[in-house]
Amino acid sequence: MTSPSLLVARREVIQRVRRRSFLIFTALVAIVVIAGGVLAAVIGDDSTTSYDVGVVSAESSGDEFVSILTNIGTATDITIDTTVFDSSDAAAAALKDGDIDVLVDVGERTDTWQRDIDGQLASLIDTGWQAWSAAGAARDAGLTDDQIVAILAPDPLSTTVVDPSVDDLAGMLVGFVSAALLFISIATFGGYVLTGVVEEKSTGVIEVLLSHVRADQLMAGKVFGIGVVALLQFSVTVLAGLISLRISGIDVPSEIWIGLPATVGWFIGGFLLYSTLFALAGSFVSRMEDAQGAAAPITSAFTVAYVLVFTVGSDPTSLATRVLSIIPPFAPLLMPLRMVTGAASIVEIVVAAVLLALSVVAMIRLAGSVYARTLLHRGSRLTWRGALRRPKSLAD
Amino acid sequence: MVVPTGQIVGFLGPNGSGKTTTMRSIMGLVAIDRGSITWRGEPITDHIRHTFGYMPAERGMYPKMRVREQLVYFARLAGSDQDRADAAADRWLERMGLTDRANDELQALSSGNQQRVQLAIALVHDPELLILDEPFSGLDPVAVETMKALLVEEVERGVTVLLSSHQLDLVSDVCPDVVIVSQGRIVLEGAVHDIRNRSPKRYVTATVGAGDVAAFEPPISSWDVVTRADGVLRLSVPSSCDAREVFDAVSAIGPIVEFAFAAPELSEVFIESVGQGES
Repeated sequence: MTSPSLLVARREVIQRVRRRSFLIFTALVAIVVIAGGVLAAVIGDDSTTSYDVGVVSAESSGDEFVSILTNIGTATDITIDTTVFDSSDAAAAALKDGDIDVLVDVGERTDTWQRDIDGQLASLIDTGWQAWSAAGAARDAGLTDDQIVAILAPDPLSTTVVDPSVDDLAGMLVGFVSAALLFISIATFGGYVLTGVVEEKSTGVIEVLLSHVRADQLMAGKVFGIGVVALLQFSVTVLAGLISLRISGIDVPSEIWIGLPATVGWFIGGFLLYSTLFALAGSFVSRMEDAQGAAAPITSAFTVAYVLVFTVGSDPTSLATRVLSIIPPFAPLLMPLRMVTGAASIVEIVVAAVLLALSVVAMIRLAGSVYARTLLHRGSRLTWRGALRRPKSLAD
Repeated sequence: MVVPTGQIVGFLGPNGSGKTTTMRSIMGLVAIDRGSITWRGEPITDHIRHTFGYMPAERGMYPKMRVREQLVYFARLAGSDQDRADAAADRWLERMGLTDRANDELQALSSGNQQRVQLAIALVHDPELLILDEPFSGLDPVAVETMKALLVEEVERGVTVLLSSHQLDLVSDVCPDVVIVSQGRIVLEGAVHDIRNRSPKRYVTATVGAGDVAAFEPPISSWDVVTRADGVLRLSVPSSCDAREVFDAVSAIGPIVEFAFAAPELSEVFIESVGQGES
């Protein structure tokens, strides 16, 4: 014989997954997320800065300026395409047509812009000009080429950062997106648990159910079943997110490849905690229109946790974030952010996970006990005191 | 109270008399403060309760779930394995005439058909005991007869049935035995026939063809006129009274077209025993 909880869970999964709205929504989210990656990849190609510089140079000395400019471009990850003109007239025409962004006349020692001066390009040209002038002066002073290179391009400093501050934008972004995703999924599927519980009360089916299943088995099955559906959708979204990141070609910190899948774990914990609370809230009312009101305290707490992600959480290393990310109601939303930005230590993660697991167990115990007392209640909303005073409906 | 196995017992009483609470306590939905409930001499465990079928007063099904799936689901919750649940669901759909609606959502069915599904849910796991709370409420007279016939069939197969009703007379033809409660206490119990005959009163209903029923004066002080209107006279007389004696007395005001001399209906016995204002 299959356990009653599993039967209840199976019903939830089948009934919900089969709904067209679920399939459409899941597919839509995955498509949107992947489309975001494709878009980023397309835009990303264009965003690699590139400039066209026209150089007027009668003598070959201009060639050296061109090669210095190109080298500076390579070193700064900027593409500088150069065109050498024999006459300044041809160069002026090219500038007017927009074929080149700026015109540098080596002999005249001028740079000419058509409309606005591009600050980045201007400073690149200045740097190039200084280097080229210095090289010319050094050669005139009789230095060898090797000596000139040693002056102009010395061995770079070896750089060490003792205590790097966590400030990677991509990591933060992924953390925020994860939190938003967790928030939406838990709110949505927690809402399903709430309405599912109230529906069973309002339709009266609860009485038939309870004649064969214990209240705690019913609750466990419902939370578990809806959780499986939620996890399915959430995993699809995370997977789409990973694919999207790969496609986009955006440079992301390596923590993300572990951190993002790890949000699935936090999702499970967060869902179990909040949906059990939603089930509890649902057991207090017997009419659909009272459901949102009963769940208001939980929804509020959850929203506060979400807002904290964007306020306190924007500094993943601060003391407030560290403390909050360990406390169960906040951990599921804050810890993923700290994990993808690499700000969380293993100890913190383990402590947060253990605390979350313990609070889930405690909540399930409490909810199961209240559930058994309140399920047969009909009519107006129960208070906490009223609920706990009611006798357990099931004869033990 | 005792429900003999293999029989159908009517559990009657006015609204608020404790019928639903009693039935819920049998199904383990409410804990009892005092007393005990046993089935075949044993205290009722969850396992035993799987052999019970229950139809609550407030009907309960999933509106958006398909009819057949609903039956299979409840059969499985009551402990049937998948194959048995499938077979039982098909069997009951056929028996209820709902085979062609098997894959419809419940909410698409008429309320009469939904009621049939509700009964099928109570029966789908072949229970030994059926607890039916107000099974006839909301049904049209034809549906009531259909359901009664079905219950009689089940009892003939050996199923024990306890059904409640606040309409006392509705069940007397299907339940040979009844238990009548009021304010949580049993006021009458036993065979319907005995309860009615045990009453110290008999009711006379006489339709007089011509003549004024208003003119009738009881010749004996123990006879009471209950109602008189539109040529119909209704009397209550002691059970020791002879029918012929009443017939003769009423004939005096005119020719009798219709005459009935009977023990009181259950509802009348009930009112006699608990007093007016209860129902």
